[in-house]
Amino acid sequence: MLTLAEEIVLLVLDDSSGKFVHVPEHSFRYALSGAVLMELAFLDKVDTDPEKLFVLDSDPTGDDLLDPVLKHLAEAAEHRDVSFWIQYFGRDADNIRKLALRRLCDAGVLKVEDDLFLWVFKTRRYPNRDGFAKKEVKQRIVSLLFSNDIPDPRDIAIIGLADACRIFQRLFSRQEYERVRDRIAEIRQLELIGQTVSKAVREIELQLAQASAIGPM
Amino acid sequence: MELTVSKVDGATIIEVVGRVDGATAKEFEEKITEGVPDDAPGAVVCDISGVEYISSAGLRAVLVVAKRFQKLKKPFSVCGHAGPVAEVFRISGFEKIISMHATREEALASAGG
Repeated sequence: MLTLAEEIVLLVLDDSSGKFVHVPEHSFRYALSGAVLMELAFLDKVDTDPEKLFVLDSDPTGDDLLDPVLKHLAEAAEHRDVSFWIQYFGRDADNIRKLALRRLCDAGVLKVEDDLFLWVFKTRRYPNRDGFAKKEVKQRIVSLLFSNDIPDPRDIAIIGLADACRIFQRLFSRQEYERVRDRIAEIRQLELIGQTVSKAVREIELQLAQASAIGPM
Repeated sequence: MELTVSKVDGATIIEVVGRVDGATAKEFEEKITEGVPDDAPGAVVCDISGVEYISSAGLRAVLVVAKRFQKLKKPFSVCGHAGPVAEVFRISGFEKIISMHATREEALASAGG
């Protein structure tokens, strides 16, 4: 099973070019940071409430994407809320992204076409085997958004993260997006970490909008 | 956390007392799975009026339980949420996907029990 960070990286890669689609940098950073925190929550390593995030079990998971973050959280001198940690680990999002890409390559989901900028899905060459991972993520999301089923926690997480990165506007036509918009909002609210990622993204966007309205000093 | 399962007027009542968090969420799920088998007749009402604290892990456990009952086509509702616990449910928008009632009586009436 892919981690949430790997799934979100897959979703922001364009199928045909293998390049990253344009996603606001801050959104992607916070989504990756939130993905790691949620993964730790699903492993019962951390827990959260509206006031704080706390470590339940500091024993390493054996996952190189998660353990540095868990170690940092366990060694933190004081409890902070989810928003603080999302922004904190968001600064390290480049490493999370690189690691997630490397793991996807190691797992045979992606391959490096040009180690500077071009990543290509093997699905283009081996359709029977590869491309499955991304298709599976998309299918899971789509079937949930167009139904009234109660989502499971991992699906809530990926929907919240994908929404923070504005992925749905790319996955769906305008009409389809309008149909699922309320459902997306309903689902992303169910998970406190995902909710905080969305809030952090909105706050940054508000600051950027205010700065651009004021103009250069 | 303490969790008891009983029958009232053909419905199953799950009464939860204490904290539902990372330390108890798995136990919450397991006890409900054991206490309410797939073929249990009638609606299921989870009374959380005795819950003093719920974390994200606790909310996920409620969601997992609700999803199981939805798959079984068994009416499921949560009741008795108050104070900070109600606030956590409100922030998370649970009332939009899970039937929630102020009291057990309301939940039973809504389930037709």
